[in-house]
Amino acid sequence: MDLTTALPVLLATAWLLPLGSFALIVLFGPWMGRRGVGAGYLATGAIVVSFVLSLIALLGWLSHHPIADAGHHAAETVEHGHEAAASHAAPAEALKPVAGDWYALGRFGSLAITIGYYIDSLTLVMFTMVTLVASCIHFYSFGYMHEELGIVTDPLVRKANGRLLKRKGRFHRFYQYLSLFCFSMLGLVISGNVAMVFIFWELVGICSYLLIGFYIERKSASNAANKAFIVNRVGDFGMLIGLMVLWSTLGTFSFGGIFEQVRPADAGHELIVPDGMVHAAAADEIEQITLTAATPEEANQAIETATPGWRNAGYGQWLLIIAGLGIFCGCVGKSAQFPLHVWLPDAMEGPTPVSALIHAATMVAAGVYLVGRFYPVFTPEVLLVIAYVGCITLFMAATIAITATDIKRVLAYSTVSQLGYMMLSLGVGGWLAGLFHLITHAFFKSLLFLGSGSVIHACHTNEMPEMGGLRKKMPWTAYTMLTGCLAISGAGIPLLWGLSGFHSKDSILAQLFSFRIQNSVHGNILFWAAAGGAAITACYMFRLWYLTFAGKPRNEHVAQHAHESPAAMVAPLVILAVMAAIAGWKVPFTNVGVDTLIGQSRPVGTELGVGANTAVAVMPAERLSHEKPIHNTVSWIAFFTALAGFLVATVFYGVRRLDPDDVRKTFGPVYTFLCRKWYFDELYQLIFIRPVMVISRAVAAIDKHGLDWLADNSARFVKWISRLDEWIDRLLVDGLVNQIARQTHRLGLALRAVQTGNIRQYVMAIAFCTVTLFVVITLYWSYIMAAGS
Amino acid sequence: MNLLFEPVGLAHYLVVGAILFVTGVVCMATKRNAVGILMGIELVLNGANMNFIAFATPGLRADEGLSLGLDGHMVALFVIVLAAAEAAVGLAIVLSFYYNHLTVDVDEAEELKG
Amino acid sequence: MTFHSLIENALTDTLGPTLAGFRPELALCATIVVLLLSRMLMPRWKEGPFWITAAGAVAALWLAAPWSQLSGGMKTAESIFTGMLLHDTFSVYLRCLLFFFLLLFVLFTRSSGIPRDTHATEFFVLILGAILGMCLMVSANHILIVFLGIEMASVPSYVLAGMLRHERRGAEAALKYAIYGAGTAGIMLYGISLLAGALGSVHLPTMAAAVVDMFAHDQASSRYLVLILGGLMLMIGLGFKLSAVPFHFWAPDVFEGATAEVAGFLSIASKAAALGLLVRLVVVFGYTPNADDMVHLEPIRQYMTLMIAAAAAVTCTFGNLAAYGQTNMKRLLAYSTIAHAGYLMMPVAALSALIGTDLTAARAAAGSMLFYVAVYMFMNLGAFAVVAYVRNRSGSEEIDALSGLIRTSTGLAVCLAVVLFSLVGLPPLAGFAAKFAAFASVYQAGLVLLLVVGLANTVLSLFYYLRVVKVMMLGEPSRYRPAVIIPLASSAGMVCLLCTVPLLVWGVWWNGLYTWADAAASLLCK
Repeated sequence: MDLTTALPVLLATAWLLPLGSFALIVLFGPWMGRRGVGAGYLATGAIVVSFVLSLIALLGWLSHHPIADAGHHAAETVEHGHEAAASHAAPAEALKPVAGDWYALGRFGSLAITIGYYIDSLTLVMFTMVTLVASCIHFYSFGYMHEELGIVTDPLVRKANGRLLKRKGRFHRFYQYLSLFCFSMLGLVISGNVAMVFIFWELVGICSYLLIGFYIERKSASNAANKAFIVNRVGDFGMLIGLMVLWSTLGTFSFGGIFEQVRPADAGHELIVPDGMVHAAAADEIEQITLTAATPEEANQAIETATPGWRNAGYGQWLLIIAGLGIFCGCVGKSAQFPLHVWLPDAMEGPTPVSALIHAATMVAAGVYLVGRFYPVFTPEVLLVIAYVGCITLFMAATIAITATDIKRVLAYSTVSQLGYMMLSLGVGGWLAGLFHLITHAFFKSLLFLGSGSVIHACHTNEMPEMGGLRKKMPWTAYTMLTGCLAISGAGIPLLWGLSGFHSKDSILAQLFSFRIQNSVHGNILFWAAAGGAAITACYMFRLWYLTFAGKPRNEHVAQHAHESPAAMVAPLVILAVMAAIAGWKVPFTNVGVDTLIGQSRPVGTELGVGANTAVAVMPAERLSHEKPIHNTVSWIAFFTALAGFLVATVFYGVRRLDPDDVRKTFGPVYTFLCRKWYFDELYQLIFIRPVMVISRAVAAIDKHGLDWLADNSARFVKWISRLDEWIDRLLVDGLVNQIARQTHRLGLALRAVQTGNIRQYVMAIAFCTVTLFVVITLYWSYIMAAGS
Repeated sequence: MNLLFEPVGLAHYLVVGAILFVTGVVCMATKRNAVGILMGIELVLNGANMNFIAFATPGLRADEGLSLGLDGHMVALFVIVLAAAEAAVGLAIVLSFYYNHLTVDVDEAEELKG
Repeated sequence: MTFHSLIENALTDTLGPTLAGFRPELALCATIVVLLLSRMLMPRWKEGPFWITAAGAVAALWLAAPWSQLSGGMKTAESIFTGMLLHDTFSVYLRCLLFFFLLLFVLFTRSSGIPRDTHATEFFVLILGAILGMCLMVSANHILIVFLGIEMASVPSYVLAGMLRHERRGAEAALKYAIYGAGTAGIMLYGISLLAGALGSVHLPTMAAAVVDMFAHDQASSRYLVLILGGLMLMIGLGFKLSAVPFHFWAPDVFEGATAEVAGFLSIASKAAALGLLVRLVVVFGYTPNADDMVHLEPIRQYMTLMIAAAAAVTCTFGNLAAYGQTNMKRLLAYSTIAHAGYLMMPVAALSALIGTDLTAARAAAGSMLFYVAVYMFMNLGAFAVVAYVRNRSGSEEIDALSGLIRTSTGLAVCLAVVLFSLVGLPPLAGFAAKFAAFASVYQAGLVLLLVVGLANTVLSLFYYLRVVKVMMLGEPSRYRPAVIIPLASSAGMVCLLCTVPLLVWGVWWNGLYTWADAAASLLCK
């Protein structure tokens, strides 16, 4: 089977398996095995098979599109790399993405809404990453969500009578949501057009919402779920505007179609304002021409000749910018970028595996992924906005992470900060570096989250000041997490080799440095903010590790109860630790690595950088950053900043030479400012949330009941079937008359419920019955008349 | 057919009547205040009255043979009287309800059911 | 025609046939006036309202003279008040039934002690007013009279539902009744306005002629929708009075909240009048003397048959099923009333189906309905009477209060048992004869499905009526309630006997009543 037919089939199977698992769990979840434990097996099985299929697809792709040999690449890095264009600007023909449609949902005029695919190496890498991380997390959840198998006593919820809430476990519900999420996320990655992206974009949002609110009885959880949902809606609103602009001017939703128009081949794949946008902007002129022209053909001719002139005059430029900014707006919401980053830390109310999967590795990275996908459409102006948003985010979130004491919140802010890095990198032209960091970050951040989950599982608290000295009690967790800390800090031997974060972060900083050379003002701000961020990253990560694992136990009670987590939780930690270490490496003796693989999908026309001929900013070609002077300088800068961060953390928390409390007192206002998370929540509360909360409460209620409705009714359906069965049984056994009498009696009792005693319902019933009867009679009447005539 | 640009005819009156009627029904079905419900009833009756008057006026419709003439006016007059009687009785009942329940919220009338 | 001759004509018409046909109603009006005057002039005469009302009922009955009118004394139907009312044997029969019911009712209330003397005048004035409205309903020949009749019957009923029990439940019942009734009346009026507008008349036969005209020339396609909507809304008003499902919601609540006396009144008189009106409408819109035009009315007849049959089946079944599991006797009887409304509508459906093919059978169907109504009057009044008497002694209207009634007051218990068995329709009681006649007409009309539903319902209803009988016969008298000791040889016992004996008599010898009912229907469709 050739690649173009095999890939869609493989990936579609991998994509739909979790959906099947979701559907089965919805229908039969509670009856699967003992207290629904079978739901977990089913979901895990599905996602593991998905992973295997993705891996096969990836290998298949590699066998058809081998990566330029290692020697060549080495030459590129060691020498000046001018001839290395071959690897980056590989022949466009060979690496054409596999795109097409599986199914057309509907056609509205010229607009077709389809379920399509757009598969290139980026898709495949994302697929493999998502399924791998998700598989690990599915395994991990067996241990972590074990309590949900029985009756759960929620220590954080007190009922009105002062007792702790006891409820039935929701093990199957958890896996049901996980499966739905995996399906949605994979759908988002494989989408072949923007409409489909948007559908799955919303679906992952809903899954995230459901999983954040998994402990729905906790007010904080349902509030956080609402917050996440609403903040994301703000972004999606912008995204919708962007989509509408694209569709109304370009007339298509498909990626291929959009890219062809934005970077047409006959313009050398340079970014130009497409005809559709020019015409939309020049509507007045076109009307003039149509009015004066003798025939339509003549008019079209005239319009065509005038189009380049209009384009040069700047017509439609703003439409392109709005489209780009709109799309980016959606990504800001989903990837928790400033100013919509506030939902992500609160989303930590969800179970920790969820935080690891959705709020660290996959869903939040979807925004970055979409920016990468839509890269050809972004103008330099938009890219600059992206860069600044990413820069602000990364710096702000990193500073907040220093003061947070909740272990998951530190990681959450770290995630926000790392996502900021990716955005920044994309914004300054580091397409490959940003997406590369996306993949490596997915591994080490999910590792860190799972590690923190293991700690929380052992200590039953999120507060780091309560922990300490856990290294001895839970060595596996401690050292796998140390791997994660080293990876995120970018530890390695400068110029040579390091953990995955080392490679990806270095390439981001190198791109920034290269950008700085071309744009002095923007470049300096962005570069030094990013470098400072790197130092802070190392600082807060090691602060986390020291506070949790090093030193002496600060709370004897917690320390006594702490224990190493079960194998189901440790094994995924080890797998992810290995991945966190090696994800940045190349396969020995070849040039095959995640970065080169992704590099194959680089959008045509962006190899040479963006904005070379504009005054806004120049995003230099990425390969320039591999040049030795840049690379070497940056390596050392990165090394020393990370080292500085590490040393600061060690001095304060590792060897305790300085007392952090002193510093805290000295910098009181700054500390408070950071502790209050730059007062973002307070600000939003004041401006937006208060009015919005009213609506969000309603949404929560509907959702809670709505889903229960779905579950209950399917359950009721099954029960009904069984009751029917029982009924037939009794009919045969007990005799007809007896049963009829009993059933009519029961029916009679049921009919009493109609008589509710509420007069308004009675009046409503009059109106309702009138309308219903009218409809029925009208239909019947037309039937009589038709029969009569 | 664009009602806005036609000279005023039967249809316009009927539309007003229908709006009154629907408003009244909605009012009856949604108001919790018993007096509000009585107002809704008035609206319904007046919606019907509007129809009668419109149908009774010969100049309004094309096929004048179908106009109700004085009959329509007579019906409308009787309905007005009846509406008054009904309102009087209704208010008296609401008052008695108030004496017993100390509220005119009809949702409080919930003892009789099943 | 001069103005003088116009006046002359109106005067002769009014003084001649019109007032003659309207004398019973005038007697009722006079009774109302006398009642009010007596309250003013002789406030100390405690017995006054009772005697005056009884006298009024007797006078009205005498003026209506059913014995002469229904035994061939009336040959043709005449429309009086320039076509507003129709005076024929049908209206005579039903009005006489109402007057007779009024007489029985007065006796019943007198013996049950409700209304108390202070309220008697108002109570009887309202009752008389409602009866007056019902008389208009059964002779209506004009759409305004339809509406006026329904409203005149309803508005006093609202007050009656709440006036005698100054407590929460009475007020609640009255409020619900008023709101529900006024709501349906409003909807009906709107429907009437649509019908009148579409057909260009408010005189029922003229409207029917317009319908014929419309169908004959098939010019009506744009007006069908209006007609359907209007007809439906009119039916809703009727459905409310009939307590037909799904417009029955008021009935159980109002019956439970009101006193047993008022509930009895509502369940019998209102039903009878509403059925009379229903028959009137069916005949007017389903029949026209011209054989050619009859064809054009076929869709209308089909429509009416289907509507009424469906409503009858649903109402009957719903009422019987919902009566299961009731603990309050009045509520149980309320659902039983709903079910009986369904039974009573069945012959009307048959009438509507037969009217196009077989006029004799159609009249027989109407006759069976009239027969059923008369029997039903005795059955239901008997049942409510026992409930009222038991309430007076034990203070409870629950079924439990009847427990062991056979030990304490044997006569009453036997009467109630007879009434209940008759409600089920067991031979040899009048209920059986009535049901038999009704089902026979349904069978004749070929409405097999409806017949099956009706028969099945008879079986269904057996269970809950029998439950009451079982409680009465096998239960132990409650030790916590005062014992119910009502001998037959008391005014209460007499009233019960008065209701029960006819059931036994007509059960075996129904010809007398049936002949009258048949005669009453004989002038329909002519």
